[in-house]
Amino acid sequence: MVAIPFEVSRSAGPGQKPRFDKFTVNVSEETPILTALLQIRSELDPSLGLRYSCRQAICGSCAMRVNGKSRLVCSTPVGPEFRAHGKVVIEPMANQPVVKDLITDMTPFWDRYRRVHPHLILDPAHPLPKDKESSMTPEQFDQFKETPRCIACGACYSACPALGSDDEFLGPMALAKMYRFVVDPRDSAYRQRLATIQNQSLWLCLRCNMCVEACPKDVRPAERIVDLKRLAIQELGAPEQGSRHAEKFMTNIEDGGVLNEMKLARETLGIFGTLKQIPKGIQMMRHGRSLKKHPPIQGVQEVKVIYSELNKPEDLMHRPRPAGKGVKGGGQ
Amino acid sequence: MSYSHDVLVVGAGLAGQRAALEAFRAGANVGVISKLHPLRSHSVAAQGGINAALGPGDSPEGHIYDTVKGSDYLADQDAAKILCTEAGPCVIEMEHFGTIFNRAPDGSLDRRAFGGASKSRTIYSADRTGLALLQALYEELGRERAITVYEEWDALELVMKDGRVHGLVGLHRKTSKIEGFSAKAVVIATGPAGRIYGKTTNSHSSTGDGNAIAYRAGAYLKDMEFVQFHPTALPHTSILITEGARGEGGMLKNSKGERFMERYAPNFKDLASRDVVSRAIVTEVREGRGFPDGTVHLELMHLGREKIESKLQEIVEITRKFIGIDPVTQGIPVFPAQHYMMGGVHTDPKGATNLPGLYAAGEAACVSVHGANRLGANSLLDTLVFGKISGAEAAAWAKKTSSATVTQGEVDAVTTRIHTMWERKEGETVVKLRNEMQNAMDEKVGVYRRPDELLAALAKISELKDRYRNVYVSDKSTTFNLNLIEAIELGNMLDQAEVLVAGAVARTESRGAHVRMDFPNRDDAQWLKHTMALPSKEGPVLTYLPVTITDYQPKARSY
Amino acid sequence: MKVAYYPGCVAQESGKELDIATRAVAKILGIELVDFPNFSCCGSGFIDEANQTLNVALNGRNLAIAEKASMDVVMTVCSTCQGMLAHAKHTLAKDPVVRKRSDETLTKIGYRYQGTATPKHLMQIIVENLGGAEKLRPYVKRPLTGVKVAAFYGCHILRPHDIMEFDDPEDPHYFEDIIRVIGAEPVYYRGRVMCCGFPIQFVKPATAERIAGKQIQEAKRHGADTMATPCPLCHISLDNYQKEAGRAVGEELDMPVLHFPQLLGLAFGLDPKDLGLPRHLADTTGLVEKLSRVAVPA
Repeated sequence: MVAIPFEVSRSAGPGQKPRFDKFTVNVSEETPILTALLQIRSELDPSLGLRYSCRQAICGSCAMRVNGKSRLVCSTPVGPEFRAHGKVVIEPMANQPVVKDLITDMTPFWDRYRRVHPHLILDPAHPLPKDKESSMTPEQFDQFKETPRCIACGACYSACPALGSDDEFLGPMALAKMYRFVVDPRDSAYRQRLATIQNQSLWLCLRCNMCVEACPKDVRPAERIVDLKRLAIQELGAPEQGSRHAEKFMTNIEDGGVLNEMKLARETLGIFGTLKQIPKGIQMMRHGRSLKKHPPIQGVQEVKVIYSELNKPEDLMHRPRPAGKGVKGGGQ
Repeated sequence: MSYSHDVLVVGAGLAGQRAALEAFRAGANVGVISKLHPLRSHSVAAQGGINAALGPGDSPEGHIYDTVKGSDYLADQDAAKILCTEAGPCVIEMEHFGTIFNRAPDGSLDRRAFGGASKSRTIYSADRTGLALLQALYEELGRERAITVYEEWDALELVMKDGRVHGLVGLHRKTSKIEGFSAKAVVIATGPAGRIYGKTTNSHSSTGDGNAIAYRAGAYLKDMEFVQFHPTALPHTSILITEGARGEGGMLKNSKGERFMERYAPNFKDLASRDVVSRAIVTEVREGRGFPDGTVHLELMHLGREKIESKLQEIVEITRKFIGIDPVTQGIPVFPAQHYMMGGVHTDPKGATNLPGLYAAGEAACVSVHGANRLGANSLLDTLVFGKISGAEAAAWAKKTSSATVTQGEVDAVTTRIHTMWERKEGETVVKLRNEMQNAMDEKVGVYRRPDELLAALAKISELKDRYRNVYVSDKSTTFNLNLIEAIELGNMLDQAEVLVAGAVARTESRGAHVRMDFPNRDDAQWLKHTMALPSKEGPVLTYLPVTITDYQPKARSY
Repeated sequence: MKVAYYPGCVAQESGKELDIATRAVAKILGIELVDFPNFSCCGSGFIDEANQTLNVALNGRNLAIAEKASMDVVMTVCSTCQGMLAHAKHTLAKDPVVRKRSDETLTKIGYRYQGTATPKHLMQIIVENLGGAEKLRPYVKRPLTGVKVAAFYGCHILRPHDIMEFDDPEDPHYFEDIIRVIGAEPVYYRGRVMCCGFPIQFVKPATAERIAGKQIQEAKRHGADTMATPCPLCHISLDNYQKEAGRAVGEELDMPVLHFPQLLGLAFGLDPKDLGLPRHLADTTGLVEKLSRVAVPA
């Protein structure tokens, strides 16, 4: 048993400024933080507000911030946090309004989830087999067998820095959910689904991988978002800034093996975008930051061989385009 | 403010959502009230799978027989027939809703072996089948925009008038406001009251509120003494380790390294029905063949890393995260814990209770398809099959019923009762009373039951019910007042615990999960009947209902 | 020790001061840098979005170049380069399909990827190869006494942890350990592990700048005299775009942002000019002024 100091954010209701209440809890180091919080509730302060239910990391109720990190507290032990920080600071999830203490209003999270049309969209012309399961190859199943692991706890949503800075962004959970439907062989809205995110949300992911670390179920949302980006480029080309930047970056390196920053700016931003960058360029030059073209690397021919060899559809992503979908037909 | 629907479903797990979907399809104006967000419901915790006789050489008849045998012949065979014949269509429908089930190499639904089943007929999604099903159903329900879901509302009391249901009174957690919900039909789908035990695999929210309000309104609680103890739960936390682990080939070993189930169930071994395996584990430990921490070990090592990590992913995560044990290289310490309530609100095979307009489905209900012992992977099936039926029936009832009203006076009466408790200035804490209840149930109403202990438990529950009248809610705030909600839940649990223990005291035989040390045998002459409880001032009044037997006459049960 | 030096694109062009500072600091630390003029760009995460296998093979080639010269360590000075090279190494080890395609291609151009070379950021080399932050102490000639330094790690050196295997991915400490050893005071703020906004600078500059602005703002609130980063892309966001970042968050920002090797170089007594500080857009004269009050022992 160790005496663990807790500092718990308390807030009486929406819009109230939180304060931190201090509690000391005697527990063993392996004790889940949820258990310690429930001990606070039963022994020290029954008014502490938090959501919890299953206590085994499957219902998704108890996501909150632990020493700043978004965590499901039922599966996070006290010990490592105490050892690293000398205390355990508990706050409600970020990026959502607080209802009381550690309880947030998850409406923004669920709204984004609904925006990806989280249900099967079937093609009336190709109904599922009657009185029989739809057939699915093990390969098709493999592509999304991990996706039901998401328990919609919101830890990724709380951890995401893009969400805190841009309301347009759908966030890790909703996009990972989108991936689940995009690769589902039963779903017919493959192209439409990709099209709805191509322009608004997909390219706002920062690839910072905060969601990968926060996710208690190893859903790895950031990686599924990269998969969606690859599928979107394959299916819809590069019609806007984000995909264009990825494409132009790729061709840029083919030229000289090393980045030509000026050329990239010109190609991604277009003429107007580049003109807007002129003052920045002047400012940079004043500080001796040149943007002159780097000479090609030695062995640039080798790079060109790599480019010419590895441009088959199956190279673009290892989780390939879902069978029977996409440009080769079907899946509309 | 008050709310009005044709059909109001209480609880948003698999049974509740399925009922709501079906009632909506039948043209009813449907509302769902749940104390949790639907995706947080306890259905999410079901791991192993869902039974359906879809495999080659299998048949609904085989499934019915296994279910009836598993029930120790207490299941109503007409209901079991519905369960098993609807199983195939039910699973196919869930697949069409988008459930991500594991696949066999030929692309069809994969199946795994499960306890008490003569064939491999458990369809599954790794070891998170409940989660996969709940997601798919919630997503399907999400299309039906006209269904109103009242999230984080507690149902407090049913409103009954002219001998039928008129709705209920609920409390909104966010504001603590108490409001009326009028409904021509109400479907109770609030799951079990596993939390009357301390050692339970159930969620903290599993307090069986719907059962309690139905019972207080005059609905029968049936067969409540039949409590399933899952053989394999982790010590201390009682977190569930799925039967699917044994379905995939896991074996139970005692401290001598013996595969002891060979002695208790020579044919089915580790996959005998749950009551049999739980008793075997308790016996091994009592007779000194357990490990020092009072457990036996569930060994998976021989299955190999790849199979363990792909098909039992959640188990791997649970054991690594919660007890620091890697099942790829170590045995998992396990001991039985309360897991499932075979009993519940009495319904007929159409989900109707004895109260006109009141329906029930899922673990809250007792149709009965599980009798004295439920087979693994039959509970998910039960929620969906009878959820659907009760939803349709509730909608049909609503169609032929003129109107339903909940008056302000009726709301005020409930409000007064709650506020009297809430405004009390001193008394005993919820935690204290709840701990005493859970300890009594854990110690005295377990796998093996002694008459003196049962009587002591009954006296304890009755004492706690008295003391509950003086329960103290120290938190006076109106936003998410969990202290108040826990007090309400405790009252609900005490009502159910009392019925459970009374039924166990009365039933002087051993059948399925109910094992009396003083009456070690099944007694079909006296006890092939359901326990039916109604409330009275003096406590539960017990009567009995015959079991429906169609094709399978009771016979000795061996695995 | 001897390492294959992978400077990355930015250090070779617009962020040349990073290369200059790295060479100076490596010399002091006794790290012999071997240049490979045939290293290509790491893809910066963007090529990975367009063509996964190509991206892996490109970095497989980079690693194979070092292997061909019997070098075990490829030293990076950019969190993103580090991330991409480590990602490629991980994929080549775990994904047989990509590995096969990459091997076939590299064979055609005369390389054989074996997996013997490991990419390591300079910070990682200090921690893992030189023996930890403490080992820097003898080189500290001008302790940065009284200077509050806000570490800004850059995502890809830390995450995902199962691939990067360096420090705690959300609660790291190595950078702060180093800051303490060189006599400065670390500033703890949440932004230190956050994104700088760079990956979407070309997609939605306003958002990228708001993100950068928040991090600088938070460092400032915590009393930082300067920020420091092991990633030149973060440096672009925090330094080059600081004015825009300030505008995005509605606050005039004036925060020096040092490259990690520059920070070391200052503590090692090197001249700020020789470390390329005047090349920064955010003014560093205040910081240099503060440092000049700390005497450098002869």
